[in-house]
Amino acid sequence: MTGRDAATAGVRAAAGIGLRAPHVQEVITTCPPVAWLEVHAENYLGGGPALRSLDQIRRDYPISLHGVGLSLGSADGLDSRHLKRLAALVGRVEPALVSEHLSWSVTGGVYLNHLLPLPYTEESLEIVRRHVDQAQIALGRQILVENPSSYLRFRHSPIPEPEFLAELVRRTGCGLLCDVNNIYVAAHNLGFDALAYVDALPPEFVREIHVAGHARNDAGGLTILIDDHGSRVSPEVWMLYAYAVARLGPVATLVEWDTDIPSLDVLLAEACVADGLLYGAGRKTPHAATA
Amino acid sequence: MDCCTVQAERRLMPPLRELQAAIGGALLDGPTEAAAAQILADRLTPEARLDIYRHHVFTTLTAALKATYPVVCRLVHERFFRYAADQYIRAHPPAGPCLFEFGSSFPAFLADFEPCRHLRYLPDVARLEWALNSATHAEEFVPLDPMVLSQLPEDDLPGLSLHLDPSLSLLSSPWPIAQIWEVNQPGADSKVVVDLASGTVYLEVRRIGADALFRALDPATYFFRRALNQGGCLADAAGVALDTDGAFDLSQALRDLFAEQLPVDHAASTSGPQEG
Repeated sequence: MTGRDAATAGVRAAAGIGLRAPHVQEVITTCPPVAWLEVHAENYLGGGPALRSLDQIRRDYPISLHGVGLSLGSADGLDSRHLKRLAALVGRVEPALVSEHLSWSVTGGVYLNHLLPLPYTEESLEIVRRHVDQAQIALGRQILVENPSSYLRFRHSPIPEPEFLAELVRRTGCGLLCDVNNIYVAAHNLGFDALAYVDALPPEFVREIHVAGHARNDAGGLTILIDDHGSRVSPEVWMLYAYAVARLGPVATLVEWDTDIPSLDVLLAEACVADGLLYGAGRKTPHAATA
Repeated sequence: MDCCTVQAERRLMPPLRELQAAIGGALLDGPTEAAAAQILADRLTPEARLDIYRHHVFTTLTAALKATYPVVCRLVHERFFRYAADQYIRAHPPAGPCLFEFGSSFPAFLADFEPCRHLRYLPDVARLEWALNSATHAEEFVPLDPMVLSQLPEDDLPGLSLHLDPSLSLLSSPWPIAQIWEVNQPGADSKVVVDLASGTVYLEVRRIGADALFRALDPATYFFRRALNQGGCLADAAGVALDTDGAFDLSQALRDLFAEQLPVDHAASTSGPQEG
């Protein structure tokens, strides 16, 4: 597959893995059988060897650029320098997918390097709507917006999260990245029904799914699930994933692993599990979407 | 947006900008009351829920500092490093989203950080690590063809400034920071004794291929290249180098510069003489 083909072929409904620094060389050398790769955009905004490796890898794999620093939910507005750098990277990599989060991390010029939660209000919806529009114009393409993992709820947050996302899709034409682990984690931490959440998403706009491992922490006798991407996908999350693909149809699925990163084989084995479940969902869904 | 809805929301919670400023402050050591007041106490207090986010922010940023400053971490030991990082993050939180760009002022912070002021070489070791980090992530460039110089009128040469490899840093220290760095690499000989009084070092840091490297320069070459890198013209840079060493050879220095593919571009200099 040539670079151009890889960039324009999109991502089919198969499993990909999050490509992290420890595996870059091995992926270049061994070209493992995985349908696509996702990288964090912010790790490639400098020059140097990282970007050169990505230039090489994009010739062999469709790439998804996953942003973690655009801060779509900041009331202060988007950082135009960051958006410009991101646009330059999108121009260079020609990714099959570009995604960001329904969250914020910047206030008063300070980057908190975390995906912080928004109250789901009309004001927030208008702010995120404006920023998604701005990003899609600057990048010249659709972006996918990911549901966050959550550890708190605001006193005033009247719009349910999936409805907020569905309305964002309606107002901006963005797509959705459904992070199944985030739904599971947030449902546990905040006490909502994960299946009902999946049911409330507009299936035709979900273009990508994430799965990952989470940790269980004790907070004053209460178990809090932490979205640490530091272990295998839990059986419960695989079950929720199977439910999601049964409902949403087979969608390109990414296995993320960011802390205590294992050998590449372990990650590829997790991708095989996702592929198996996708295959099952494809057989049950007569009009399988190829995202 | 429906203005009536927004007005109704105002009665229920502060504007998003205010809420985010309150949460940002609460996560970075400020008062937590304003943020906590907007969070549901649902089986866990609002403060405990904010702690989960704070823990992640500090863990991520401390790991980023440790990745950039592994030798500093080794020199002061992990626990002290985490303490210093915690204080640094509160005082100088990131101003951008790229973790590899976070921590540029950590060396200056360490220089003023009372608990480690007795380690007088530490800030300079940190400067070396920052220069290596910057070199790793610097933009790529196409070296300037030396023929460009031969095509310029000879009278233009003294006022010419050369833009050098964007990965280049020049730093000097009264401490043997190169040796300190080397003996603190994984697998280095732990029995080596570093003589802290071995004299000033003049270092050039840049990326060659995929690797950020440093090497020692003689003082005249160091000051010549530093003057150029600060935007000084050839005449000024040569002047600074000659002040350092009367035997400095400008033609040789220029040949070396091009042989090492340091120049990226050239321009008629508009700046005055630089401080040596």
